[in-house]
Amino acid sequence: MKIFSYLLVLQQVYCFAPIALTRRHCSQLNAEFDFDVAIIGCGVGGHGAALHARGQGLKTAVFSGRDVGGTCVNRGCVPSKALLAASGRVRDMKDASHLESLGINVEGEVTYDRQAVADHAKNLANTVKGNLENSLIGLDVSVIEGRGILAGPNKIKDDQSGKIYTAKNIILAPGSVPFVPPGVTVDEKTVYTSDGALNLDFVPEWVAIIGSGYIGLEFSDVYTALGSEVTFIEALPMLMPTFDREIAKQAERMLIRPRAIDYRLGVFASEVTPGEQGKKPCTIKMIDANTKEHVETIEVDAVMVATGRVPNTKDMGLESMNIETNRGFVAVDDKMRVKTSADGEVIDNLYCIGDANGVMMLAHAASAQGISAVENICGREHVVNHEAVPAACFTHPEIAMVGLTEEQAVERAEKEGWTLGKSQGNFRANSKALAEGEGAGIAKVLFNKETEKIVGVHIIGIHAADLIQECANAVEQGTTVRELSMMVHTHPTLCEVLDEAFKGAVGMSSH
Amino acid sequence: MPALSSTMKEGKLSEWLTSEGSPISSGDSIATIESDKADMDLEAFADGTLLKILVEEGETAKVGEPIAIILEEGEEEVELMKLIEGGGGTEPVVETQEPASSSPPPPVSASTEPQTPHTKVYMPALSSTMTSGKVVSWEVDESGTVGSGEPLLTVESDKADMEVEHLGDDGFLARICVEEGASCDVGEVVAVIVENEEDVAKWDGWMPGASVSAPSPSPASPAASKPAAAAKAPSAPSPAPSGGRVIASPLAKKVAKDKNIDLSQVTGTGPEGRITVSDVEGFTAGSSPKKKSDTPPVSSWKPANGVVAATPTARALAKKSKIDLSTIAGTGQFGRVTEADVKSALGESPKKKKVLTGVPAVELPSGFVKYSGMQSAVSTNMEATLTVPIFRVSSTIEMNSFNKLYASVKPNGVTLTVLISKAVSIAIQKHPIMNSRHDSNGGIYYNSDINIANAVALDGGLITPVMKNTNEKSLEELGEEWRDLVSKAREGKLKPDEFNSGTFAITNLGMFGVTAFDAILPPNTGTILALGATTEVIRPCDECVGGMRKVKEMTVTVTCDHRPIYGSDAAIFLKTLKEVMENPEKWGVK
Repeated sequence: MKIFSYLLVLQQVYCFAPIALTRRHCSQLNAEFDFDVAIIGCGVGGHGAALHARGQGLKTAVFSGRDVGGTCVNRGCVPSKALLAASGRVRDMKDASHLESLGINVEGEVTYDRQAVADHAKNLANTVKGNLENSLIGLDVSVIEGRGILAGPNKIKDDQSGKIYTAKNIILAPGSVPFVPPGVTVDEKTVYTSDGALNLDFVPEWVAIIGSGYIGLEFSDVYTALGSEVTFIEALPMLMPTFDREIAKQAERMLIRPRAIDYRLGVFASEVTPGEQGKKPCTIKMIDANTKEHVETIEVDAVMVATGRVPNTKDMGLESMNIETNRGFVAVDDKMRVKTSADGEVIDNLYCIGDANGVMMLAHAASAQGISAVENICGREHVVNHEAVPAACFTHPEIAMVGLTEEQAVERAEKEGWTLGKSQGNFRANSKALAEGEGAGIAKVLFNKETEKIVGVHIIGIHAADLIQECANAVEQGTTVRELSMMVHTHPTLCEVLDEAFKGAVGMSSH
Repeated sequence: MPALSSTMKEGKLSEWLTSEGSPISSGDSIATIESDKADMDLEAFADGTLLKILVEEGETAKVGEPIAIILEEGEEEVELMKLIEGGGGTEPVVETQEPASSSPPPPVSASTEPQTPHTKVYMPALSSTMTSGKVVSWEVDESGTVGSGEPLLTVESDKADMEVEHLGDDGFLARICVEEGASCDVGEVVAVIVENEEDVAKWDGWMPGASVSAPSPSPASPAASKPAAAAKAPSAPSPAPSGGRVIASPLAKKVAKDKNIDLSQVTGTGPEGRITVSDVEGFTAGSSPKKKSDTPPVSSWKPANGVVAATPTARALAKKSKIDLSTIAGTGQFGRVTEADVKSALGESPKKKKVLTGVPAVELPSGFVKYSGMQSAVSTNMEATLTVPIFRVSSTIEMNSFNKLYASVKPNGVTLTVLISKAVSIAIQKHPIMNSRHDSNGGIYYNSDINIANAVALDGGLITPVMKNTNEKSLEELGEEWRDLVSKAREGKLKPDEFNSGTFAITNLGMFGVTAFDAILPPNTGTILALGATTEVIRPCDECVGGMRKVKEMTVTVTCDHRPIYGSDAAIFLKTLKEVMENPEKWGVK
């Protein structure tokens, strides 16, 4: 009996032991090189790779380029969430009829302090950045302040000190910078990219957003909540061109039409001239995307350029290893190994992850790719299934997705010869959503009718970003809708919207 | 009404995304339908025009019921309208998921209806309680001509006799269906008007069927002839008829040529619509000359040629309300028209289109209604002023510079009231007598504080919230104080000290377009200043091209208690006030 209990204790100790003890170790420490792994770039991707490399016992260095945290933490997802959180509350509290339906009465006007909202975003970015940096130091990662420049096989030059470091494996994670189309002059004050927008220097009466993707849409959410009016300028003939069409349509109904937003489709902003706050408006000349003829000129208080991002791969010594980029993107194979060009040779011990390879420009995708690269470095073959990487747009309500859009799924089903199934759950039929007074939205599950595996899920509705994970896990694991339909979902929660869709997929009804 | 889910039995029309008369392209979302599970957009499956909405927003329809009629290109509007009007309960054209509108069922009518372009006139509902009406007299004989807007008949309702006007296009009265002295139910056909004289005979003897009743004869349109066409007609001053002769002054033509402006695009404001130089210059500024000038333009910024200076919501509302944005003065950034501007413009000219002559829009109140507490107080105070000997002095102030200042401080929450109060307090500092009042002990009572009381009209009352020490506070402080006071006033939470401590009163009716008026002195106050509207006028100017210039002016009138304050005091005060308001750069505020 006593022995048994000792065993139990031992077992528990074992359970709580650091991962490094329980995992296979792959230390490659070799006197030949300064480091086992050197990572250029310290965004979410580089950071993820560094943590995993240390977990594997690899001697690791990160060239931060004086930008610990990278785009996501400093100029992207993280501070924008702070703006969305603040502006979302302003929107909620100004929505008197919604509050009234919950029995709440807000007396007086709901106001906000623009500078304080902007500071909240700044402080959040700084906190997250600090945590990131501390975690690297805590795990004994060598953080080199300068920007790393490739100086031949296994060699990296620190652009600050000029010192050359050697590493057995190099992971490129330089990230991306906002793309500014030709003809657009950015002053980051009245005409700005997401970098400048996050400063929230002023709340314009009227702001034009060029591009209606995730970034543009999120900022339209912030701006309209704070009282601005928004005009989207989209080069393609539809809003939110990368979204599933049905979801885009719902989004237009929930996020565009009821708000102070209008749009121009199929036009380029051919000439954008900055203004001066309060003195001179910004001028946007628009031309037809096809005929290139002048269509309209508008004068607005501010212009946000959200036309995508381009890789930050200039001047990082790619030529020293004869790497050709495609518009800056570094070609990689599915193990994240760098290739000399799209159809060129794989270069040993050189990896590229994150926005720079253009496979999937999302922070968590970069991190997953970083971990995958380290797995491959350790000799354990690993490939990231990008179709299981979820994505979210943090508007109010949120939009989230994983896998294929319906349009892509139809095409793939036809090509591969299987039958596409589609099942939908509705927020309107969900008790929790109704309790919140947020019954708008759908979750649709696309699946292969023969294998019953999920190929895509798209959700628009309250807390969609938090709901998508279950689906991403299912896609990754190949869980079938039949299996999912038998899994118990907590009542009453929003995830029952998915339960309804899973059950619907196999002909069951949910309550 | 489409079935949006397997369980859906009926749907609620939550929103029409287009309006009657609007063109529709295939694939456009035309309405949002709320089913038992979700909201869905309903798309049009054919190009055409939305002729008639049969299910209004908020109403519910069973699956399969028609909710609207779409006029496809090539289809005759008149034919379809006939279906709606004459078809009675039969299903006319169904707009569902299927493009069924291509094969409309044949019209069903009680007696064979001549196929000529015509309009039916229905018995109008002249009051909310009227169910039937008696034709008192026909103002036009059968086969006589009927002009648009001319009286057609007189109808006796349950309340009064009313003249009913013909609202459609000019035509000929082909058939009188209800003779003088006869009655019929609201919505029944009383007459038929045809477009061509030769068609008159074809209607001879035609009678509507017993069941004839329009599905939903709008009470506001007794002669609803072509709603779609009417809706399409521009409501705002339109540019000179295209292709027609352009009438413009020689100088205007020259300026237009210099600036490369197409005169046919310019709206003329001169005699008989002639285009003047200012019209051309106004056009250069991106909008036709402002007809209204009571809303001061707030920015010197001139938008580039062709730029519509209006925010997205303003544009949408203007489009929806069919109001020409160029007729609205903008108060937004860079003089941009905002949604609020459009709303106020709509408020100033309440939908004339919908209110028909001879039809009472509201029932007027009658009889005795006791004063509310506030009204009694006003009444007592007003009577008390009868013992005060008063005089009035007026002056006209040029507002161009003042309006510029207003535009620059408006974003900081400074209202016109605040800015004028500030200007007045600057002027009072130089003439303290204007801040004094008569004291019953036989003397002048001087107030050391300048407390400006501004009259605010409330629903069923009037109150004068007081901004205190206006001479000492910044515009922003005053702006905040005033906002606070107004919201308290609306809620009835003003403390006595906040509405009876004024030392100088201001009242403003300018926003209603009143050019000048005089006010009655409030108790214990020596002066009240009455503000008229700011108007745009031409003044002689030696240095200007053409010897004249356009200025914005406001007429102000002070009413003073002649016991402490004399005419010359008031006159000099107004001179100072004029100087202050015309030279805001000297205020030292900002």
